[in-house]
Amino acid sequence: MAIIERPPETPAETGTGAPAAAASESYGFFRRPVETKGWKAWAFTVDHKKIGIMYGAIAMMFFFVGGLEALLIRLQLAQADGQILSADKYNQMFTMHATTMVFLFVMPMAAAFANYMIPLQIGARDVAFPRMNALSLWLFIFGGIFINSSWILGGAADGGWFMYAPNSSVPFSPTNGVDFWVLGLLITGIASLVSAINLIVTVLNMRAPGMSLMRMPIFTWMGLVTQLLLLFAMPVITVALFLLMFQRNYDATFFSVEDGADPLLWQHLFWIFGHPEVYIIVLPAFGIVSEVLPVFSKKPLFGYPFVVFSGAAIGFVGFGVWAHHMFAAGLGPISVSVFAVATMAIAIPTGVKIINWTLTMWGGKLRFTTAMLFAVGLIVEFTIGGLSGVTHAVAPSDTQQTDTYYIVAHFHYVIFGGGVLGLFAGMYYWWPKIFGKMLNETWGRWNFWVMIIGMNLAFGPMHIVGLQGQPRRMYVWTENRAGEGFFNLGFWNFVSTIGAFILGVGALLFLFNIWASRKNPPAPIDPWDARSLEWLTESPPKEHNFDRIPSVNSLDEFFHRKYEDVGEGDQHDYKRVATGAEVIANEEAHADAHIHMPSPSYWPIVLAFSVPVLAYGVIYSSLLIAAGAAIAIMAMFGWALEPPTADESEFDPPPSGDDEPSKEVAVSV
Amino acid sequence: METTSTVNKMSRRIRIGLIAALGLAVAGCAQDAPQDTFDPAGENAQKIQDLQVPIFILAGVVGLIVLSVLTFVLIRFRDRGQAIPEQSHGNPMLEIVLTIIPALILIGISIPTVGTILALSETDDTECIINVTGQQWWWEVDYPVQDGCGGISDVIITSGQMVIPTGTEVLVRGTSRDVIHSWWIPRLNGKKDMVPGRVHNVRLQADEPGIYAGQCTEFCGLSHANMRMEVIAMDPDDFETWKAGQMAEYVAPEEGTLAAEGEATFIAQCSRCHQVNGLEDDDGNPIIARPDLQVYSGATPNLSWLMTRNTFAGASWDLLTPECRADVWDASPETVGEKYLEGVSPECLNSVDFREWLRNAPAKKPMYTDPTELEETGGLPRGMPDLGLGEDQIDQLVAYLLERQ
Repeated sequence: MAIIERPPETPAETGTGAPAAAASESYGFFRRPVETKGWKAWAFTVDHKKIGIMYGAIAMMFFFVGGLEALLIRLQLAQADGQILSADKYNQMFTMHATTMVFLFVMPMAAAFANYMIPLQIGARDVAFPRMNALSLWLFIFGGIFINSSWILGGAADGGWFMYAPNSSVPFSPTNGVDFWVLGLLITGIASLVSAINLIVTVLNMRAPGMSLMRMPIFTWMGLVTQLLLLFAMPVITVALFLLMFQRNYDATFFSVEDGADPLLWQHLFWIFGHPEVYIIVLPAFGIVSEVLPVFSKKPLFGYPFVVFSGAAIGFVGFGVWAHHMFAAGLGPISVSVFAVATMAIAIPTGVKIINWTLTMWGGKLRFTTAMLFAVGLIVEFTIGGLSGVTHAVAPSDTQQTDTYYIVAHFHYVIFGGGVLGLFAGMYYWWPKIFGKMLNETWGRWNFWVMIIGMNLAFGPMHIVGLQGQPRRMYVWTENRAGEGFFNLGFWNFVSTIGAFILGVGALLFLFNIWASRKNPPAPIDPWDARSLEWLTESPPKEHNFDRIPSVNSLDEFFHRKYEDVGEGDQHDYKRVATGAEVIANEEAHADAHIHMPSPSYWPIVLAFSVPVLAYGVIYSSLLIAAGAAIAIMAMFGWALEPPTADESEFDPPPSGDDEPSKEVAVSV
Repeated sequence: METTSTVNKMSRRIRIGLIAALGLAVAGCAQDAPQDTFDPAGENAQKIQDLQVPIFILAGVVGLIVLSVLTFVLIRFRDRGQAIPEQSHGNPMLEIVLTIIPALILIGISIPTVGTILALSETDDTECIINVTGQQWWWEVDYPVQDGCGGISDVIITSGQMVIPTGTEVLVRGTSRDVIHSWWIPRLNGKKDMVPGRVHNVRLQADEPGIYAGQCTEFCGLSHANMRMEVIAMDPDDFETWKAGQMAEYVAPEEGTLAAEGEATFIAQCSRCHQVNGLEDDDGNPIIARPDLQVYSGATPNLSWLMTRNTFAGASWDLLTPECRADVWDASPETVGEKYLEGVSPECLNSVDFREWLRNAPAKKPMYTDPTELEETGGLPRGMPDLGLGEDQIDQLVAYLLERQ
């Protein structure tokens, strides 16, 4: 499928140049790996599904790491003058909790779903650049390990996830923690950028015949918007991180006030990335919920074009509201007014989504599966988070709320309520697709309710303590400022800690459910009576996804293959005309004659490995930089020169001029 | 059956949510914590209050409507074996109406928002200028020479606590000596970051005498949690008394007292960093502290009138015992100024915390003072190091410092 695998006889048709002409001869040091079993099959895979699973598994691991950090924070704050953590450890803990949850859990978990589902939803056999996809995965994994290695190498970053200058400069943060943070995020940032470009190209170029943009499943749409946000937001944080790296390691003065710098530069750069980041976190979850609600309401998504365009509008306006994180930073009244109004404007497309989800269910036939419960939970919790968001779009009110626990409450309702609950809905919805087994629904309900109760007990009281004036990022709070009566900080901080532990139990129930479901029989091929293309194949899908590249005639293609409108005139009456299994069997019966898939490769993991070596070099020794660079160059040459495994004879013949070219040709144009 | 029970659980969940939302709205009425953001005590905070109360109510009402509709939908349209619903893709008119309504609400919110932003940025009605400077991890407060504030003829420098006259439009001009800090007295105004290299203004005005608590709200490193401050508002007569006390001449301790020994100990141990105005060496030369040579931020609290304040070390510990503190902090508006001006008497001194601080400051408040950690700051500590004082020296210093009022 990849361009370089086109046979040398067809350069005219494919448009690839002559240099690839002799690619079937081996220039490389190694043959391409051929293992289909064991660890090598995973380490060297370029299959988007395996990559998606690995993204998900590692992200889930980091979810529990970040959760552990959260529990330590809550233990410390359970009562006045907490003694669990020192000030230094506490500062590291909240910095790493946020960093882990944002960069190592929610983003890669969304990437897991995007990787796995987008090619399936658009009827493709893989992503556009399979080896780049593997590179993204391994960069993320190595970047995550790199950041966390700081715990045992002198302490983690202690400047808060927002890492404001000049507190992030060496005199104020003399350990290497901030260096690990900066370099680690640069590494995961490359992963995000590569993955964004890959998925954008995939969605724009590799959709099945007939799938116009406005027939794309909504999750793919939201995924596309998310990747575009990443494409424009990641370079900004990359610039900021580079400046900080040079500030800390090579005596640059970008943020040194004594040399004339303005520390607000960092804030602008950080939040120009940081606000789109919020939508990078929630839009994939919104996409999942927009898939789940129609399936379990047995209705199409209400106002599909409105949901699509509101998603795109959020993407655009999301780049114009960053300074609402800086209402107290001294921008001046005109700037503050402009950003306050812009922030209110973004509430409109966000509200459109809530309205459309509700109207999707209106008149439906609602089945409350676990996935549906999580989706409805998202609507409720995100509504709360959105409305508290409106209260601090009002800038003067925000100057009372910013940097208090009220903000912590707000963004946990948005990110956990609006993001993580959606990801869990996706877990339960797509688990049978990915693993061919259902998760246990009874344990799923326990999972949902314990998490929901825990989340509201953990984050709900933070509204109260925040409005009572408890700032964030304080390793202790004191009786002197706690007040008495119903709203006293002592009681509600304690409740919040209890809630955090309940939430932790809820999250563990998910792992327990995976264990409890390990011996479940194979799932039905269409367990939810689903609507979109990823279900138009077996579960789990074969390596090549579809035996026949589907041709698409409508939004919700799979649904319309199963149900037909037998009503007359304005009377609609849907009757089932086929089961999902029958539809899929029909596809398999008409399998494409020639299917070839990209071969695994040694080089993505090697190239990814070179980057943390470089990064350790920046911190410790230029010798390591040289070693990392050597590995990187070797990997790039290996990458460029490695042979395709397949013999020429296994390639598709060029199309014979019929009106529907094979998918492979469409890719390589 | 299973579906029904799920729906019941669902609706119960939503009822809990509604109650929580109501609770959120009611939170505005509480008057208990000293940093309550819904308890304005001056016109600036009142302007914010007038804006945020209706918006919280509005947000609560919108939330109730959305969640009520959602609850209705979840119950009404649950699967009871009904036919496959019509595959309707939407209703553009309804969409447009439901988009315009929130847009109108938000326009309605944005107009008073902008009005309040502009009103809170006014500076031309200023009657008194006070400077604040943040550094790790305390606030310096100084009163420049001016006709405002009822006239100030000599610079007043204090720390941790800012004293202002009631009914006066005070303009706080703030900056920082190291990292970004944020000045926040919730009952008097919203917060404002104090950024090194920049000067930011924030208005303060208190209607009634009282002690208004605040806290640094921009994360500023290790001891961010221990960087607090208070504004003490007193009526203009009391304020005149306070000013006179701050500008008074230095009075050396009587010969032969413990305090006199304390003066010598102070000169030997403390005066390189801490200024006491009027202190002279044996030759009659003024002793000028050089904190710029001793600590990384280049500043330390001026201790000339330490015991006129009632907190220390970044306003994080009380100079008063709990009983004496309650007597001042809980005093009525009529008496609070007078009680504050009494300062710290020997009986009222919170000697436990104060002596712990003198014994080993970084053990009490986390600071960067360990010599092995100071390579990056040229050996200069950030905060007060452990001076290794003996108990007798601490006795002397306490006696001496108790006279600093």
